[in-house]
Amino acid sequence: MANRVSGAIARQRSIRGQVAIVGAGRSEVGRVPDKSVMALASQAAKAALADAGIKRSQIDGVLTSSAFAAPFHRFSVAFSEYFGIVPTFSNTLQVSGATAATMFNIAAAAIAGGLAENVLVLGADSLLTGLSPDLALRSMTESRDQQYEMPFGIPVANTFAMTAHRHMKEFGTTAEQFAKVAVIHREHAMRTPGAQMTTPITVDDVLNSGWVTTPYHKLDCSLISDGAVAFVVSAADRAGACRAKPIYILGGGECYTHEHIFLMPSLTTTGAVQSSAKAYAMAGCSPQEIDVAGVYDCFTGTVIMMLEDLGFCPKGEGGRFVDDRQITYGGSIPCNTHGGLLSYAHPGMPGSLLHFLEVVQQLRGECGPRQVAGAELGLVHSLGAGFATQATTILGTEATL
Amino acid sequence: MRRIEPKEAHVKPLPTPDSDSQAYWQGLKDGRLLLQHCTGCGHVQFYQQSICRQCGSEALEHRAASGRGVVHSFSVVHRAPGPAFKQDTPYAVLLVELAEGPRMISSLVGGDPMAVQFDMAVELVCEPINDQVVLPRFRPAGR
Repeated sequence: MANRVSGAIARQRSIRGQVAIVGAGRSEVGRVPDKSVMALASQAAKAALADAGIKRSQIDGVLTSSAFAAPFHRFSVAFSEYFGIVPTFSNTLQVSGATAATMFNIAAAAIAGGLAENVLVLGADSLLTGLSPDLALRSMTESRDQQYEMPFGIPVANTFAMTAHRHMKEFGTTAEQFAKVAVIHREHAMRTPGAQMTTPITVDDVLNSGWVTTPYHKLDCSLISDGAVAFVVSAADRAGACRAKPIYILGGGECYTHEHIFLMPSLTTTGAVQSSAKAYAMAGCSPQEIDVAGVYDCFTGTVIMMLEDLGFCPKGEGGRFVDDRQITYGGSIPCNTHGGLLSYAHPGMPGSLLHFLEVVQQLRGECGPRQVAGAELGLVHSLGAGFATQATTILGTEATL
Repeated sequence: MRRIEPKEAHVKPLPTPDSDSQAYWQGLKDGRLLLQHCTGCGHVQFYQQSICRQCGSEALEHRAASGRGVVHSFSVVHRAPGPAFKQDTPYAVLLVELAEGPRMISSLVGGDPMAVQFDMAVELVCEPINDQVVLPRFRPAGR
């Protein structure tokens, strides 16, 4: 009985439709050698504010990720100083790659709870030109545990590689199917202005690109980039006053199953099952109703596993689903139509914000030659730290409210 | 957030034992891989901490593991995570499932990294790194 009562309250206390993304923008992305992290961040924030048609002084909340190349303890606070604003709500969040989606969840909750009116959601970093490649890699290794993981030379790529490897053993997923993910992402990037990698590739190119950490080759791995992405999130009832077409947050869910890769409950079924179930329940929709998706693609196999855990195909079928080109135009769920972390850009924590940017633009109908026709309902799934952190967001146009 | 300086990037990261893990790292110096056994619920856990992750009890004992296990998954590193590990490539990072149940991360010694297979039997090797640190590595069993 107690459970039923608290369940009812939880349903009542939903962020569904309470806030909208009213502005979205990015800096130059890819190789941007002449700009500091803060300069990139300012560029993105200005673009998002201009898109929303609101003034700097109207931003009273700032949520950001942290940055490797600008290692402030309080990035959100340091950015506010640099940008010349004095927010009355701010935080710097850290759940690795999942941070992107969690910023929207917290922005929505803060606005619904009266803590802020217009929240700037921002991520910026300069991994390609702000750090040497050695330091960029080593910085990512440092995110593994110092006692039980780091001494064995385990790059963060290795944790994802071990899950993909196990997926091959359990479900017969093949290296060619992984490679197909990279090929499709490259096809998408070729249509996207500003993408970092636009030369067409084949399955053989991926398989012959050299090992990084088995079963992953170089072209199974995402890029290292510079860039910043920003959004303005406002209360739904004020969204009409903004310039851009509002895109509403319909559901959010998170899940954190482990910290150490050796305590991951299953290497092939992740917390994305729980995070997405929560998001679908809040949004009141099913995976089959989603028109366009942004799926965290730090590695090719990651996409295959997430297609299963997000409910787009049955467990173990992800490889065949990609083989059938279900993740591109004409397929059942076009994913990462901008080219993703694999081919568009991966500036670290802001990487997944680029998925949000693409899905928002798809739902606004702004994508020109890469537009998914009639897209009304979108999903973004962010994750990080070897599947330790998972967050799903469901977005929709006014018609989906 | 901590920034890694260029000088540090060339030094391999080593564990710094804390009050939870002191017995574990001392155990390895004595040639034993210690696991924590909960006397309340029987749960066996890796790594050492102040409470049982299953039942929350603080009644935990250290017991030496058999040192036997199988490879649950693995990945052979060809592109090192930074300069400190460059001279070691290719090396196999193992996710070992110990005979007692818990899993742990380690790396292979005494075998061809590219010959590692799923479910391959492995056994513990306590490898001294310096005067202070012994790391638990694994080699193919029965050699």
